[in-house]
Amino acid sequence: MQDLKKLIGIAALSLASANAGASTEVDIEQQARSLWHDAILAGYQSLATNAGDFSRAAEAYCESPDYASRKSVEQAWLNAFLSWQKVRFVDFGPVENNNTAWQMQFWPDPKNLIAKKARYLIKSDAEVTPEVVDQSGVAVQGFPMAEYLLYDEPLNTSDTGLPAANTCRLLTSVAEHIQNNSEALASDWQSLRESYLTTEQYRDATIRAGMGALEILEERRLAQPMGMRGTGKRSKYDADAWRSGNSLKTVEASLEGLKTYFLPGLSLLLNNSSQPELTQSIKGQFDEALGHFPELREPMATLLQDESFSQLQGFYVDLSQLVVLVNEMASVELGVVRGFNSSDGD
Amino acid sequence: MKSTFRPAPLALTIAAVVTAGCANTPWASDDAQPVTKATVVEHYADLAYANFEDALITAKALDEATDRLIANPTEANLQAAKEAWLAARVPYQQTEVFRFGNTVVDDWEGQLNAWPLDEGLIDYVQADDYQHELGNAGATANIVASNSINVGGETLDVQDITPELLASLNEIGGSEANVATGYHATEFLLWGQDLHGFESGAGERPVTDYATGADCTHGNCERRGQYLDAVTDLLVSDLEWMVAQWAPEQSDNYRAKLIAADANEGVQKMLFGMGSLSLGELAGERMKVALEANSYEDEHDCFSDNTHNSHYYNGQGIQNVYTGTYERVDGSEVSGPSLSDLVSRTNPELDVKLTAQLEASMQALGLMKSKAESSENPTSFDMMIAPGNAAGATVVNGAIMALVEQTGSIEQAARELGIQALSPDDAGHSF
Repeated sequence: MQDLKKLIGIAALSLASANAGASTEVDIEQQARSLWHDAILAGYQSLATNAGDFSRAAEAYCESPDYASRKSVEQAWLNAFLSWQKVRFVDFGPVENNNTAWQMQFWPDPKNLIAKKARYLIKSDAEVTPEVVDQSGVAVQGFPMAEYLLYDEPLNTSDTGLPAANTCRLLTSVAEHIQNNSEALASDWQSLRESYLTTEQYRDATIRAGMGALEILEERRLAQPMGMRGTGKRSKYDADAWRSGNSLKTVEASLEGLKTYFLPGLSLLLNNSSQPELTQSIKGQFDEALGHFPELREPMATLLQDESFSQLQGFYVDLSQLVVLVNEMASVELGVVRGFNSSDGD
Repeated sequence: MKSTFRPAPLALTIAAVVTAGCANTPWASDDAQPVTKATVVEHYADLAYANFEDALITAKALDEATDRLIANPTEANLQAAKEAWLAARVPYQQTEVFRFGNTVVDDWEGQLNAWPLDEGLIDYVQADDYQHELGNAGATANIVASNSINVGGETLDVQDITPELLASLNEIGGSEANVATGYHATEFLLWGQDLHGFESGAGERPVTDYATGADCTHGNCERRGQYLDAVTDLLVSDLEWMVAQWAPEQSDNYRAKLIAADANEGVQKMLFGMGSLSLGELAGERMKVALEANSYEDEHDCFSDNTHNSHYYNGQGIQNVYTGTYERVDGSEVSGPSLSDLVSRTNPELDVKLTAQLEASMQALGLMKSKAESSENPTSFDMMIAPGNAAGATVVNGAIMALVEQTGSIEQAARELGIQALSPDDAGHSF
C-alpha cells in the first residue's frame, strides 16, 4: 500500500514536471501540500476519535452518575477539546461549512451568552434533544457549552446542575453534536484531498491559517487576558476555557498542533527558499515557547496574580518572537500577504 | 471596543462575478481637477468633513430635542427626541468608514458609539433579563440612582452629572462594556431596555421617567434628566472637535497632516477603512455573530431596534468613499476625484466589478431595511436573527455575503493601486 502510494506520487510528480516550466518549485509546493493534507487529516481523525469517546462518556455518566463517571466525562471532554485546539488553526475547507468552527468553539463570550442559552434550554418545558441543539445556534453547540455544564460553579451548586435530567440531556446532545461535526470534518477533509493537492491557492491559504492562529494566540488568547490591550485590565474571562482552569493547556495544545501539523509543510517550503536557515530558527522558537510547559499549565486566574505574572510574561515574549519569525520573516520570504480577515474590526 | 472578536473566518468565497457593461466615465473627464492619488485623498478629507459636519448638525438637533423633553416631558416631546436620535444616526453611521485607518477617529469614537453596553451602569434595568459582561464590577452601578458609586472597590462621587463626569466614567473599572456616553447611552435613556427578546417591539421607557414630583416613575427623574442633558451636550462637543480635525485651511489639524503625508498613505487608509468596516466589523461582528449565535445581545441599536439603519448607513459610508460622493442631510451632494477614478484607469474591469458589488451590497442592506420598516408585519433585525427564522436568516446572510464579496475586490483594488500591505500604522490596533 505504502509503495503503491509512493509510486503514484512519483508518477504524479513527474507528470507535473513534464508540464510545468519551473518544475522543482511546483514539486516542492505539491509536496508541501501533501505533507499538510496528511498532517491535518491525522489531526481531524484524532479529534473524531476523542469526540466519540467524550460522547460515550457523557452517555455513561448520565446513565449512572457517580464520582468515577463524572471524572471520566470531564477527562474525555478535555481530551477532545485539546485535540480541537490542535487543528483549530485550520480556518478554511470543511470547517467553513455551516460555520463549523464557531459551532465547535463559540469564543470569546464576554456577555456570557452560553449561560443565558443554557438556562433557557434547561428550564424549558420541552425536552432537550439533539434536534433542539442542532437548531439552537453556535453558542449551544460546542465545547464551551459542555464546559459550562461540567464546570460552571453557580450551575453545579444549583438543583439544575448535573446530573439533573434536562441538563444531562443537554450535555449528551451537545457531545453528540460535537462528535458528528468532528467525524464530518475528518471525512470531508479526506474528500478534499485531490482538490487540495492540485489547487495552488491552498498553499497561501494554509500559510495564512497558521499565521492567523499565531496572531490570535498572541493577541487574543494571551495579550488580551493579560491586560496588554484595550482597557488594560487583566481578566481571566477573556481567555479560553476559564471555567475549567484549562486556558493555558489549550494554548499549549494549539502550539503543539501548529508544530505538528503546520510546521513540516512550512519547513519544506523554507528549506527550498533563499533563507533555509529560517526553518531552524522557527523550530527552535517553537521549542523555546513550548519549553514553558508543563510548568505553565496553571489556570489563567492564578497566572494573572502578581506573584506568577512574570511566568506568563516570559512565555508571552517567546511566543511573540515566534510570531515575528513566522508572520513577518517567513511570510515575506514565501510571498504571502495577509489581507482583510474576519478578525478585523474591533 | 476591542474585545469582541470571533476567530473563525467568514466563508471568504469570492465569487468570480463578471459584470459586463460599459465602463464608468471617470469623474474628472468633465471637470478641471485632475485625478491623482493626492486629489483623491484631499477629496476624501472633504467627504469626511461634510459627513462629520452633518453628524454635528443632527446631534445639535438631538440636543435641542432632548432639552425640550427634559423641560416638558410629554409623549410628543419624547417622540420628537427619538426621531432626532434616529436622524442623527444617519450621517454618523456613514462616518464609521473613516474610523479604521485614521487613528484620530478610532481613538475618539469609543466615547460616541461604543457597544454593546452594560446599561445597568447608567439606570435601572430589569434584572432577570439583563446579562452583563463577565467580571464587570460596574454593571449594576446605576449612576442615575446614586450620588456615589462603587466600582471594583473604588468609590466615585457622581453627585453632579456633567459631561466631564460622564466622559471620565467611560470604561470605568477597566470594562469596555461600561459605556456612560454616546449614542447608545442616549438611546437607552430614550427607549429603555428592549424586553421583547426576539419578538416584535423595542424598549418602552415611559415618558414619566422624566416627570417631576409624584408623577415620576422609577425614581430619580431629575437626575435622569440631568444625565440626558449632559450626555447630549458631550456628544455635540465631541463632534465639534472631530469636525475641526477635518476642516480645510487649517495648519495643524488632522486633515493638514493627512494631506501633507505621502498620498499612498492616504489611499491605504481609505481602502483599509472600507475593507475593515465591510468584512470584520459589519459583516462579521455586527451581523454574523448575532445571526449564528441567535444573540440579540449582539444587536447594534438594541434599545430602539434601529439596527437595520445602522447597518445600511455603514454600507453607504463604504460606497461613499469609493465613489467619492456623499449626499448631505440637506439633500445636496458632495462629489470629486475618487478611488473609482483611480482604479478605472489601471483596471477598468475591476472598477466596474467593485462598483457593481458595492451597489449589490446596498441592495442587500436595503432589503433588510425595507423588511424592518415594512408597514405590514415589519421584521426588525432582532427578529431576523431568531432561532428558526429561515427567511430572516436569508436576508441577513444575503447582506453578509455581498459585503464579503466586495471586500475581495477592495483587496484587489489595493494591489492594483500599488498598496502592498493593508496593515495599520498603529500596532495596537486589532489587525
